[in-house]
Amino acid sequence: MRRRPGIGGLQSAAAARDQYRLLGENVAKVRTDLLKEQLATFRSQLEEFARKHKNDIRKNPAFRSQFHEMCAKVGVDPLASNKGFWAELLGIGDFYYELGVQIVEICLATRPHNGGLVNLQELCNMLHQRRKSDREAVSEDDCLRAISKLKMLGSGFEVISVGKRKLVRSVPTELNKDHNEILELSQAQGFVTVDEVERRLSWTSGRATDALDTLLEEGLAMIDNGHRDGRCRYWFPCASSISPVVGADS
Amino acid sequence: MQKLGDFKVPQFFNYPPYFTLQPVRETREKQIQLWKDLILDYCRTQKIFVIGLEEEFPLFSNPVIERSLSHEAREAFLSALVSEGRAEWMDKGHRKCLILWHRIQDWADIILGFVKDNGLEDSVMTVEEIRSGTECRGTELQGMDRTILMRALKLLEQKGKLAIFKGTSADDEGVKFSI
Repeated sequence: MRRRPGIGGLQSAAAARDQYRLLGENVAKVRTDLLKEQLATFRSQLEEFARKHKNDIRKNPAFRSQFHEMCAKVGVDPLASNKGFWAELLGIGDFYYELGVQIVEICLATRPHNGGLVNLQELCNMLHQRRKSDREAVSEDDCLRAISKLKMLGSGFEVISVGKRKLVRSVPTELNKDHNEILELSQAQGFVTVDEVERRLSWTSGRATDALDTLLEEGLAMIDNGHRDGRCRYWFPCASSISPVVGADS
Repeated sequence: MQKLGDFKVPQFFNYPPYFTLQPVRETREKQIQLWKDLILDYCRTQKIFVIGLEEEFPLFSNPVIERSLSHEAREAFLSALVSEGRAEWMDKGHRKCLILWHRIQDWADIILGFVKDNGLEDSVMTVEEIRSGTECRGTELQGMDRTILMRALKLLEQKGKLAIFKGTSADDEGVKFSI
């Protein structure tokens, strides 16, 4: 004979549920506490490490980039704020802010020439020229970090990858896939022709001229009708190392 | 860096597209600005006063990159200088252009300075002496263009700083300073 559910059965089921929940909460709490403790230890170790290797972090770009990587893994951002332990200890915030300002200056100074798109490597070279007097070396990684901080300002600073190279964009231009492919093609010689684009990318002529026209309009390309073969060449200043000399005063 | 004589050319001079007049307005404006500065700089350092559009001119072509400016581009760059008062067309056909790396007013000031430095405040000189006499050696007036010199002198005449009087031929026009 089947027993019908009674009040007692319901109560005991509820009690059991409560017990399970309590136990679960306990386990979770113990776990988080343990994790928190581990993380705290790790952080304090990291801080000690930073303190010990302060000079290496400041002077050696490779060491600095590895340190950043390590920090990112534990969720510490030494650049998050200019106040507090990290900034005081390393002065690393100021370093990147200064770098950021210099990058903005260089981007603005070269914008008339390159339309706001500059090769990361070239940007680094110009930074080196500008920072000659400083003892601290600057790597591409440092530039990337400084630029990622600039992104927060919403000023449209961004690093885009074109083929193997990285370009820093300082104008809010939307580049689509077609434009990027042309930019990539241009990296080899510094220029492309309509024929070349059609042939290498197997595009129709309309698609090629359309994309090239946009790049012209955006000031990222310049035309050159002066070559002997009579074909119009589209030059990309961001793909050549020729740029106006940036004033060394800073 | 590439040089024209003792003149250092800017880097854009070696970038081929700067020799083609750019179709996009903003890019063209930047291009024209660079060329204007280059032309003025070059003329100032080389003491060039007149550019003939159809003649050979070192800035109008760059053999290194095998590019040269079209007539249209030459005229566009010089016209931009004209509109700023830094150059003047010498004929209606725009074939010759007078380059004013100093404006006429500035030339007039230089002449006044020269007169004061040499204590010539109320003496008489011929126009030719001002640009080729012994006093002008080593000054900016040495070898300056006669057309520009006459324009500056006329400006000073209007201001009552001097009087120009004519002799029997063009070379013996004289100037009486009264500063």
